[in-house]
Amino acid sequence: MHKNKKCRYITAFLLLGIGVLFFYFLNVCIGSVRIVFPDIVRALAGQEINETVTRILWDIRLPRATAVLILGGALALAGYLLQTFFNNPIAGPFVLGISSGAKMVVALVMVFLMGNGIRVTSAAMILGAFIGAMISMGFVLLMSRRINNMSMLVVSGVMIGYICSAITELVVTFANDADIVNLHNWSRGSFSGMTWENVKVMAVVISMTFIAVFLMSKPLSAYQLGDAYARNVGVNLRFLRVRIVIFSSILSACIVAFAGPISFVGIAVPHLVKRFLRTTEPILMIPACFLGGSVFCLFCDLLAKTILAPTELSISTVTAIFGAPVVLWIMIKKQK
Amino acid sequence: MENYYFITKKMCVGYDNKPLIKEMELALPKGEILSIIGPNGAGKSTVLKSIAGQLRLIDGTVYLGETVLSEMKADELAKKMSVLFTEKLRAELKNCRDVVATGRYPYTGWFGILSKEDELIVDEVMELTHITDIREKDFDKISDGQKQRVMLARAICQEPEIVILDEPTSYLDIKYKLEFLSILQEMREKKGLTVIMSLHELELAKIVSDKILCLKGEYVERYGTPEEIFASNFIEQLFDITESSFGGNEKFLAYIRGIKATKK
Repeated sequence: MHKNKKCRYITAFLLLGIGVLFFYFLNVCIGSVRIVFPDIVRALAGQEINETVTRILWDIRLPRATAVLILGGALALAGYLLQTFFNNPIAGPFVLGISSGAKMVVALVMVFLMGNGIRVTSAAMILGAFIGAMISMGFVLLMSRRINNMSMLVVSGVMIGYICSAITELVVTFANDADIVNLHNWSRGSFSGMTWENVKVMAVVISMTFIAVFLMSKPLSAYQLGDAYARNVGVNLRFLRVRIVIFSSILSACIVAFAGPISFVGIAVPHLVKRFLRTTEPILMIPACFLGGSVFCLFCDLLAKTILAPTELSISTVTAIFGAPVVLWIMIKKQK
Repeated sequence: MENYYFITKKMCVGYDNKPLIKEMELALPKGEILSIIGPNGAGKSTVLKSIAGQLRLIDGTVYLGETVLSEMKADELAKKMSVLFTEKLRAELKNCRDVVATGRYPYTGWFGILSKEDELIVDEVMELTHITDIREKDFDKISDGQKQRVMLARAICQEPEIVILDEPTSYLDIKYKLEFLSILQEMREKKGLTVIMSLHELELAKIVSDKILCLKGEYVERYGTPEEIFASNFIEQLFDITESSFGGNEKFLAYIRGIKATKK
């Protein structure tokens, strides 16, 4: 490998790592109650500090920041997989309607279970979201067989998204429940209210998926060359495609189940990371996208919490402000 | 070196189960060059895709040596056969050397990282194909002719026994056309590489090929040595060229006759 390239990769990964740590602790420190950094260190070391601060740290800030780190990474990774799959730079779980499909089924499950007085578990949420994601993905795949045009594919994804959102709204409107507020907040996308229980489940599911995706980096790199060349070097295209679909759906499902649909991260982050690394090699892009997604979401969540404090913005409001211009930039670049 | 044959038995190719060309019986000794010629739309690319295992055969069998091609494992086949199709290779943010190196895929481990030996082979092949000077250039920014040479290097880098090329010389100027074909001949002599390709340039097909396959219509029109194919009026028939084709323009007709006349 060329020396310059190696330097670039190492620097990029270092910066991404530092970015994750920096924004993670910033997220833990900043909020309605400001916590100073030494207190966090003390709390993490198990030393005695102010009771309220300890509670805020352990019950609210740390699980939330950890969840943002994990889900943000997963979101960018899902976007990267979908972009590779469709060879479409503006594909992502949100634009293709996969998030909305997951949201719809989760809303149905929640309303049904709550209506019958059953507690909704993380597992049920993820399963529901996965089914929803697969339904949308199925539609998108059907469409992609009929249309080869990449903008039309995105348009059809957006339409699927609208249909699913409409159904979700309908369900939410008719669900006459005290939990409706929760449901409403969640369906707009938010990282608030994360518990350690949630974090445990997402950490297990996402880390396993991440490893599985990382192990695909070799066939993915051949897949990027085009079907004929991938097949020629011995890639089993069908098996690879099935795996990409399943893993990107699991990732999208996990995000939706815990934080609701979040827009633009899936498209914007892989592009920024690609420009940053100046490579498309999956073996580098997969971990870099994950870290990039974490940084981006930690940054956006920080703004969502603080801009209009004590009111919290929905996370998509913030991600759209920073993500949408990136998408425009991509499209302008494509036209050239 | 053992005698290694490329054989097709009753091969029938086409798309969506609709046969385009039927009952193809081809046989090629190891280390020979087979060119496919024929008018546009005759099915040259279809035949090449089918031979390469990229398109399901409608009927019949293709043998590589003793083995039935469709029964070979994908990774085994990848070490024996490489392709250069008209389909564009996507190479975002890759320089020419990166593209050539993708040919090493079947030989690398789980994560696809090139070994020292792989790196050496990549450099060697780039030397052989005379593209060392553009090694650092972005693949997306070089000319179509240069791309074609990089793609040939990529195919050779895969260290195949047989290489399938679809109109490989189309974008090349005359110097590079000749250079391209001479590389193939060099590979054939040195490594016993078997080549199957479609060519538009009849005069080139005539001088580089050991066998020529003419396609037109539902069945193999003709299969034989260049001497056999270029004898008599066959080429005119194949391409539907008659005396009146060019309004009787003598110069054009002389050109056609010239292709037939020059001895190998």
